[in-house]
Amino acid sequence: MVFKKEQILVNFIASLILVFRNFFFLIFYPYKTMRKISLEKDYWQILIIFFLVFLYFKLSYFLKDNPYPASFTFFAFLVNFFLTAGFFYFLSKLIKKKNRAASFKSLFFSLSYSLFPTLIWFESVSLLYLILPPPRTTSILGISFSIFFIAYSLSLFFWKLILVFLALRFSLRLSFYQILYLWLLYLIWFIPYSILLYHSKAFRVPFI
Amino acid sequence: MKTANFYLKKKMEEVFIIEPNDLSISFLTNFYKKLTAYLKTTPFIIIIPLSFLVGLVIYLIFGYLIVRLTTLLQHGF
Repeated sequence: MVFKKEQILVNFIASLILVFRNFFFLIFYPYKTMRKISLEKDYWQILIIFFLVFLYFKLSYFLKDNPYPASFTFFAFLVNFFLTAGFFYFLSKLIKKKNRAASFKSLFFSLSYSLFPTLIWFESVSLLYLILPPPRTTSILGISFSIFFIAYSLSLFFWKLILVFLALRFSLRLSFYQILYLWLLYLIWFIPYSILLYHSKAFRVPFI
Repeated sequence: MKTANFYLKKKMEEVFIIEPNDLSISFLTNFYKKLTAYLKTTPFIIIIPLSFLVGLVIYLIFGYLIVRLTTLLQHGF
């Protein structure tokens, strides 16, 4: 029994180190790292990433004015995440009927790691909300900060696009055009869905 | 030697996990390959200046709307 507990602890620590190592390498070597991640088998890493997401929802619960409980927003995030993963997986099967190489597990791992830019953006915006609460003004400082903030958000967004593209490419083995096509189809339902989430005040910016 | 062969085989399988992209038009394929070569390693060298440029262009085109967009995004978490 003691052995099992120790084993779990060792596995957890090893996975924790791997998660932070992969996060670090996704900044500098996104291509190679995402290729490795698509071959991962260690589910502890997913649990750690999802736990980090849950921690973020806990933090935002204390900062927002009229929030839903963290468990509810986390559940909404899980629905978002599985809808997205399921959509890409099943459509890739339709596009490439003999696509036996496509694996849901691989997609699950790579999409989980592609949450890293999202987490950074949401965490940093929450902290900025405390340090420099909105609204912004039209003074020189306000405009300069706005340009900086938009540039910061865009750089994370571009990085996110690269990671999602690589996630789909390595886990579903799709070509460039097929991925573009899937993204367009994804936006057709995801934009109205995001507006629905915005009006229900669950997510003002979709967490995905 | 067997171990070295095993790791080499494993690495080769990992590297050739996907077919190279072909965009049907040779000019586009070449452009794609050149662009992705920069994005595969340290993409932020391109992404950060590009984002600042886009931010500046948004300000030059839409003016003070950028302030409203920032306020909206700051409420977005």
